[in-house]
Amino acid sequence: MSESRFRIAPGIVHETVDGEVIAIDLDDGSYYSLAGSGPAIWELLEGGASEAEIGAALAASFEAEEAEIGAAVSALLGQMQENGLIVASEGGGSGAPPARSSEKSPFEVPRLERYDDMKDYFLLDPIHEVDTAGWPRPAA
Amino acid sequence: MAAEADLAGEYFEQLFARYEQAVTALGGAGTLDLGMAGLRLRLRFAGAGLREGLLAPFEHLACGDGGAPELTISLFDTASSGIEPPAPLWQPIGAAPGTNPIARLRSERACVLAAAGSRGLTAALPAEGIAVFHLPDATAVAASERAAPIREALQLLMAARGPLMTHAGAVGRDGNGVLLVGRGGSGKSTLALSCALAGMDIVADDYVLLEPDSLIAHAMQSTAKLTEDSAARLGIPPEVIDPAGFEPTLEGPAKALVDIRDLAPGRMKRGLAITAVVAPVIPALTSRVAAHTAQEIGRESLRRISSGEGLRTVAPSTIVQAGSGGGSGSLATLADLVRRVPSYALELSPDPAANAAAVDRLVAELG
Repeated sequence: MSESRFRIAPGIVHETVDGEVIAIDLDDGSYYSLAGSGPAIWELLEGGASEAEIGAALAASFEAEEAEIGAAVSALLGQMQENGLIVASEGGGSGAPPARSSEKSPFEVPRLERYDDMKDYFLLDPIHEVDTAGWPRPAA
Repeated sequence: MAAEADLAGEYFEQLFARYEQAVTALGGAGTLDLGMAGLRLRLRFAGAGLREGLLAPFEHLACGDGGAPELTISLFDTASSGIEPPAPLWQPIGAAPGTNPIARLRSERACVLAAAGSRGLTAALPAEGIAVFHLPDATAVAASERAAPIREALQLLMAARGPLMTHAGAVGRDGNGVLLVGRGGSGKSTLALSCALAGMDIVADDYVLLEPDSLIAHAMQSTAKLTEDSAARLGIPPEVIDPAGFEPTLEGPAKALVDIRDLAPGRMKRGLAITAVVAPVIPALTSRVAAHTAQEIGRESLRRISSGEGLRTVAPSTIVQAGSGGGSGSLATLADLVRRVPSYALELSPDPAANAAAVDRLVAELG
């Protein structure tokens, strides 16, 4: 599996509540809900784990074939990268192997949903950052 | 390492100097001292038109305890003082009709926001609790400014002290209440006003200052906005509707301002402790009949939703619409809210009184 590492993109704010990650893209007003095993993947990614390490950690916690987990992780990371939620990271990971949980729970496919209903508002009230040269830089 | 020039901070100083020139030109400044979100806020204005045009909706929070203010906003306009703001540090941004793009210049210390549509100019030093607001002409205030006067300045100053300007209404009884959440057009305002007309207490229909920890939703302006359709359904007497009438809004249908104190005398409160989050849902046409029937036979049209769904309903419109920059701190405050109190969806009935009754029952249950 890939040793690629990712980090949460700048401009994304996020919180996890009740087994769901809510992430908001401050640059374009879109927002996301990440559920199923998504929050576990998000947490590992935030901790600096590589794609392979995320797969291994999930395989240790969930009842599913490693290949099935690997494919789901890979698909989610691709989807999140495409949507600008995460970006490739140069840095190394935590290095610490994930703790094996004593009892495995059923594997739920990660679910990412994107919402664009705030975009209309965003276009009405766009923010143009002014940089030190004094020129507004369009936000999106 | 040499510090980068603080352009935003410098612009604040220049704008503040212009405010002082306006005060001199007009022979003095008026003041309005308010108690808002537990903080003493002093509004100083050069030009009486500002008080009438912009600040009247804050009069209900007036307090004369004479204490030193923790926050100060100084306001002036060019029409009455003849004083222009300093030249902008940014290229003019074109505003297409119906839009209000904002140029934002930020530093660690200062934030400057120039709205191209409403032409409101805000400069603030949030940590120091001071802001300046300028308009070209306070007697020709855009509807958007009158609906949420000095919103950006309040948002910046309050956020530095804790209270988060949250896109939500709040209604309740006996000091406790629920936050009504949802994007514009979701039915929040109509529901909030239905509740006030049904005898419940109200803090706001659209924006509150949510204090983290205590989860008290505090009032800002006493005005509410409503569409012609809502005014008709709620049976709002024409004499309480702002003389400017129904004006086009950024988000769509024309809306008029009403002062909640005129609409529901005695019901406007300074704050309510929040015990639940309620998201009004306008049912799809096909399920409307069913929903109505459910209410007629007394079944609850409220259903619990997950904390995540509650957060998805309140957070994006609060954070994305925050011209002064909502960040991770704002989302954390709202996440804490939905972790601590339950979230509900309320399927709206065509009968405003039935909707208010459902909210009233919930407030009583959660007491």
